[in-house]
Amino acid sequence: MDKGRVAFAAVLAVVAAGAIVSALPWPAKARLFPLTVAVPLLVLALAQVIAALRGRGAPLDPDDALPADVTPSIARARMHAVFAWMAGFIVLVALIGFPYTVPVFVGAYLAFTRATTWPRALVAALVAWLCFHVVFERTLHLPFEAGLVQEWLAPD
Amino acid sequence: MFDALFEGLRLVLTWQAASLMLVGMAVGFVVGLLPGIGGAATLALMLPFVFKMQPAEAFAFLLGMHSVAATTGDITSILFGVPGEGLSAATVVDGHPMAKRGEAARALGAALMSSLVGALVGAVALALAIPVVRPLVLTFGSPELFMITVLGIACITSLSGGGAGAQWKGIAMGLAGLLLATIGQERQSGTLRFDFGFTYLWEGLDLIPVLVGLFAIPEIIDLAKRRSAIAGNAPPEAIGSGVWQGIRDTFVHRWLVIRASLVGVLVGILPGAGGGVAQWMAYAHAVQSAKDARDREGFGKGDVRGVLGPGAANNSKEGGDLIPTIAFGVPGSSAMAILLGAFLIMGLNPGPEMLTKHLAVTYSMVWTLVIANVITVIVCLALLGHLAKVTRIRGELMIPFLLVLVFVGSYAANRQIADLLVTLVAGAVGYAMHRNGWPRAPLVLGFVLGKLAETYLFISIARYGFSWLGQPLVLFLMALTVLVAAWPYLQARRERVRARTGGTHG
Repeated sequence: MDKGRVAFAAVLAVVAAGAIVSALPWPAKARLFPLTVAVPLLVLALAQVIAALRGRGAPLDPDDALPADVTPSIARARMHAVFAWMAGFIVLVALIGFPYTVPVFVGAYLAFTRATTWPRALVAALVAWLCFHVVFERTLHLPFEAGLVQEWLAPD
Repeated sequence: MFDALFEGLRLVLTWQAASLMLVGMAVGFVVGLLPGIGGAATLALMLPFVFKMQPAEAFAFLLGMHSVAATTGDITSILFGVPGEGLSAATVVDGHPMAKRGEAARALGAALMSSLVGALVGAVALALAIPVVRPLVLTFGSPELFMITVLGIACITSLSGGGAGAQWKGIAMGLAGLLLATIGQERQSGTLRFDFGFTYLWEGLDLIPVLVGLFAIPEIIDLAKRRSAIAGNAPPEAIGSGVWQGIRDTFVHRWLVIRASLVGVLVGILPGAGGGVAQWMAYAHAVQSAKDARDREGFGKGDVRGVLGPGAANNSKEGGDLIPTIAFGVPGSSAMAILLGAFLIMGLNPGPEMLTKHLAVTYSMVWTLVIANVITVIVCLALLGHLAKVTRIRGELMIPFLLVLVFVGSYAANRQIADLLVTLVAGAVGYAMHRNGWPRAPLVLGFVLGKLAETYLFISIARYGFSWLGQPLVLFLMALTVLVAAWPYLQARRERVRARTGGTHG
């Protein structure tokens, strides 16, 4: 039995059941389509839960096999780390806005993960900011909103 | 008609129109490479620049840009697994695994050459359709359009991969995609569905953050776990050297490329369907046209046919898209709706006038599609060997830049931080799906087609009750849908029978 497979199918079943319960009180027009979709989804998800509990299912893609020096615990730690970096990116955007986040994030990532030396990370941060500024701000004129910090510092 | 055809060519080749087309193509090239900033958004950004242009110049500029963006979107999709724009997401499914195997140049060569063939088919379809388009488009009402979306959804069975068990997973994911599409305000009764009290969800989920999250983030996590280059341990000399193989693949599978191009044209003609639908339906067709289950196994793991189908449809749909826009003033997609704005700025009325009085301008659009795509493919082919070498760069160095691209792309469409959270959540879901053997393509197809299916269903019932179910074209499309859904099973049955017969005789 693969716990991950069971968990995924179970979550899908819960989502489908939740959708059915939420849709029932809606007017007929609004609930028709979601119910038409969610009921068979619930049945299929439950069937997959049973199949996963019995250990049935295709083997995982051999392309997903990790290099010999990457143990499962290392892989898990790296996965959590990259998720944390992504969450950090979003928090930074909310705080200081995109234009400042891009160089700060690129520089910090490269330096703190020891992908390269600090001076090179700073150069990469500068290049990232320059590319971002020239392409998105100057050429495409995409507006990027200021972050909360800028709003606190200059409320108007 | 031939006079107008040559006059159209002359209009595009005047130095003003030709140079504006090149400028548009340069902008489209960059925009196509950047995820999230679709051709439609760029058309909107560039529309104010056409005020002082002549009609042929304006369309050379805008269409040159739009068609190139569709082509170069495939480059980012293949190299990094980050969809260059919503349209090019289907190319990721097989294109990126090819890049990971060290066949980036081959995948890029195949994508570009099939794009060129697709663009040519689209342009020819546009040129041929101009005199006969009216009855064709008027044949399709809401019931037929609903059945077309159902036909698209039936393709899910082909997108699932693996055996019969995997097909049930694929159908479940397709249903999950359809359910995802119901988030937001229901258009008929105004009921808010699955909004959980967030005003952000009233409009439903945007396609770009969901797509980018589902496909790009799992690849970035994979890169972070391995800490190797995208192309892994593939020999360096092989990475940049498969371009001609990719071009050859296009001609080896020429009938698939032409059929996928026709799928693109047809979907382009249908109002509201858009390029994403064209690509996924062409991908589904490529999978379905595999000889048997064994032949189908390679899809999703780097089968070049999975690149050729979407690549061709991606560009052929431009020609299809233009047909109802020019002939009726009915835009088939958001990009065409913006292009309609250019018609009005130019003082042109889409409709019969474009097929009579301004026929030369109409044909200039056909020529723009052809010339812009030929130039793009030549330029890209010259650069491909170098572009493919990007897959040799160490993963740790690529990750921060890829994450910036992913999040800027997700944000640029609507400028909402919540889109970044949706990208992250979609990324986590996409990663869990990938790890646990659930296919992502059916989820996307369901999500893309869900809103359309529901809208057409309601219009059909409101207008015809249930009598539309007996209309001849609807019945034909129903039969086709059943055939498409049952095709993998019919194929498997035929193989079993053949194996039994072979065993008996052998």
